[in-house]
Amino acid sequence: MFKFLKLAVIALIVSLGVSNTTQAQTTKYKCMIQMTNYMGEGAYMVVSIVDAKGAYDKTLYVLGSDKKWYKDLKEWHKAFSKKPSNLSAITGASVTGGDRSVVVLEIENAKLNSNYKIRFESAVEDKPYYVKDLEVPLTTDGLAAKSEGTGYIRYVRFSPAN
Amino acid sequence: MNLSIWRYSHLTLAVSSFLFLALAAITGIILSFEPALEKINRPTTPSLSQVTLAESIPVWKKQYPSISQVEVDDFHSLVAKSSDFPKDIQEGYIHPQTGEFLGATKQKGAFFEWINALHRSLFLHELGRFFVGLTAFLLFLITISGILLLIQRQQGIRNFFKGIPKDSFAQYYHVILSRWSLLPILLIALTGAYLSLVRFEVFPVAKVNLEVDFDKIKDTPQKKLEDFPIFKNTSLSEVKSIEFPFSEDPEDYFTIKLKDREIVVNQITGEILAQQAYPFTQIMSTLSLDLHTGRASIILAIILAIASGNILFFIYTGFAITFKRLSGKSKNQFTAEESRFVILVGSENGSTWDFANGFYQQLIKLGEKTYISTLNEYQSYPSAEHLVVFTSTYGAGDAPNSASKFQELLSTDISQPSSIQISVIGFGSRAYPDFCQFAYEVHHSLGSKSWAKPLLDIHTVNDKSEEDYALWAEAWSAKTGISISSKAPLKQPNNFRNLEVVSNTSNQHDDTFLIKFKTKRWTKVKSGDLLAIYPANDHRERLYSIGVIDKSEIQLSVRLHENGLGSGFLHRLKAGDTFKAKIVQNSHFHFPKNSPEVIMICNGTGIGPFLGMLSQNNKQVPCHLYAGFRDKSSLGLYQSQLDEYSQQKKLNTLTVALSRETEKLYVGDLIKKDAHQIATILKNGGVIMICGSLAMQKDVMVVLEQICEKELSQSLSHYQAHEQILSDCY
Repeated sequence: MFKFLKLAVIALIVSLGVSNTTQAQTTKYKCMIQMTNYMGEGAYMVVSIVDAKGAYDKTLYVLGSDKKWYKDLKEWHKAFSKKPSNLSAITGASVTGGDRSVVVLEIENAKLNSNYKIRFESAVEDKPYYVKDLEVPLTTDGLAAKSEGTGYIRYVRFSPAN
Repeated sequence: MNLSIWRYSHLTLAVSSFLFLALAAITGIILSFEPALEKINRPTTPSLSQVTLAESIPVWKKQYPSISQVEVDDFHSLVAKSSDFPKDIQEGYIHPQTGEFLGATKQKGAFFEWINALHRSLFLHELGRFFVGLTAFLLFLITISGILLLIQRQQGIRNFFKGIPKDSFAQYYHVILSRWSLLPILLIALTGAYLSLVRFEVFPVAKVNLEVDFDKIKDTPQKKLEDFPIFKNTSLSEVKSIEFPFSEDPEDYFTIKLKDREIVVNQITGEILAQQAYPFTQIMSTLSLDLHTGRASIILAIILAIASGNILFFIYTGFAITFKRLSGKSKNQFTAEESRFVILVGSENGSTWDFANGFYQQLIKLGEKTYISTLNEYQSYPSAEHLVVFTSTYGAGDAPNSASKFQELLSTDISQPSSIQISVIGFGSRAYPDFCQFAYEVHHSLGSKSWAKPLLDIHTVNDKSEEDYALWAEAWSAKTGISISSKAPLKQPNNFRNLEVVSNTSNQHDDTFLIKFKTKRWTKVKSGDLLAIYPANDHRERLYSIGVIDKSEIQLSVRLHENGLGSGFLHRLKAGDTFKAKIVQNSHFHFPKNSPEVIMICNGTGIGPFLGMLSQNNKQVPCHLYAGFRDKSSLGLYQSQLDEYSQQKKLNTLTVALSRETEKLYVGDLIKKDAHQIATILKNGGVIMICGSLAMQKDVMVVLEQICEKELSQSLSHYQAHEQILSDCY
């Protein structure tokens, strides 16, 4: 019952959001990342859009502000070093075990439902690195569901930003 | 338990950790300023205890619909996350009651972040964290061993805060300060070690994991946020953080972290869906962090900073004490009261100590309770059976520095309860008159004591002769039945400096010459100190009085003796030659610091140190030089330097006596002539310095004695006692 209602609400608001963004053709989504109860330092995470082949398309958000740890996010760092962009507006704090973080992601409408995925990549000092801690299909359904992570992320949820 | 076990562990622990400890202490001091600086960076807001959640959450939510989280930081400021703040700011301070935006949060200073990483992990990640944690634990053990050492030293816990004897600066303040900073240091050590243990998951600090039963979530009865009972009953001061529901869906809820527990609140009904108290380990680790960082209270932060400063001080004084003990001047394991053997040492520059220490070590190795100290520290020795005196002689049969008070002490009522067998061994060189004079005097005055039973007749050692020492050692062994080695425990002289000859006038004059050496810039040397040279590269040592010219050059004024070991050696040196020598501090013959006027009296090569002092008399303290030479040509050697100092007003008057010219004059005659002026200077606190031959010194002293009695009606010894008469003669 709730699930259906939620879907309907999201679909409605997403469509509203689309109509609202006239210039940039983008929509803002609130994204909540809930961490598992792992012990240790704060996790550095990067949220990116990847295409069907798994190639990095765009960096949506970086959680963790000290650049010296970025190389621990190996795959993303490799791709990003080749094609750097300004991250300052989309950088927030790293997140420790058990905590959650709510960030705002801005996604081009054209990429919705067009075979893209949102990848959550995570690394913690002296602990394993997860290239695909979590991948969410960039579809209306994907954004409506609660998606479970495989590494430090317990789950991720989206909701339209107002 | 033996005192030395605690001392040994205290020292071993300290030595093994002092580098990390010093680093942690320095970074700790810097970090202790962080709370105060962070506090300044934050807006001032009313006390959080006055505001309930019911009064604040609805206001915030209305003002910032997208608000996702509010955190109460370590400094009681509210940090909110929302995308509704101006200028795309995502995180900012807000007012507890009005919700007013008070500015964006600032990044922690990069400098403090850097220092923090250094403090926690030395930039070595896990390995560094391990070492830092281990260091904290070692600090704990050091503190414990220190407490035990102190209790033992004070003979019981009841005397813990009683007075302690002031042996030396390092030792005294090491103990005094340790009593006051004991608790904060223990606190730092324990909390630091605990935090490391938590970090390495030695204690399972389970995180709270609230399980919400989604099937039981209700969406009725709907209540306003301000009417939720839990919000009404909770003030902001109890809160660590509030996570707002992610969406308006009833399945999303408030997660509120309180100081002692975590609760989950239904956003529609206000019902508590789940709650869990924090486990003890987590409360402990939060408390440890509060106490270790001092973030909760600025006063605590200051106390921690002072304690860290003390740690640095302890490292310094601890090493100072240890080095002093190792260098042999106070390494006693046994007290004067309990020892069966007592060794007393009279030494001017330390070489006699080498013999005494060697002898001491042998007795200790044999398991004999032995006590060693200077003659000046003479006291009652209730358990002593043997007293051995090692002493040199200073100048014309005087007591060396560390024995100057001995004769006086011996004549007071310090008494020995039982009879003691004594043996005196004198050290000196037959090159000087009055060979071992002071040793004879000590032997004589000890002999007059009823408790003293001479074990051996006095022995003397010429020029550190190993044969002479062996004679005594064998005799002593034979008499006591304690077999000690007759081999002289001589240390090869160390801490040599390489000196390079800059100039030598030995080819211009036959018998007297000036030789200059270059030293390293940081060499600590003053005019009046002695240069010890080893002309034959063996134990034979010759001392020369130093004049320091132009800050970095050492100048010696030397007279060549027939077959002279030292003077011959120096005479042969040419500019550019280098050789090894030692600088021996001779602080009793340095230029006086606060004297209104100085009279310098010398003959022959005794002018050497004065030339140095005059060259450095930049304050232009009035100086009067009375110098005796044989003839004009021997004065000529120094004429140009003296003229220069007169011109620079570093030397006021120069009066010269020539003993082999037409008018035969000696220095004593000059002094007699100026009796009145000299008396006035003495009366005003001026200082007289005498350097040169012992014969001249004797003459001058007689004249000075007369002047003092006639003009000042005081005895000369009065001025000697006030350090107004300084002499360095040979």
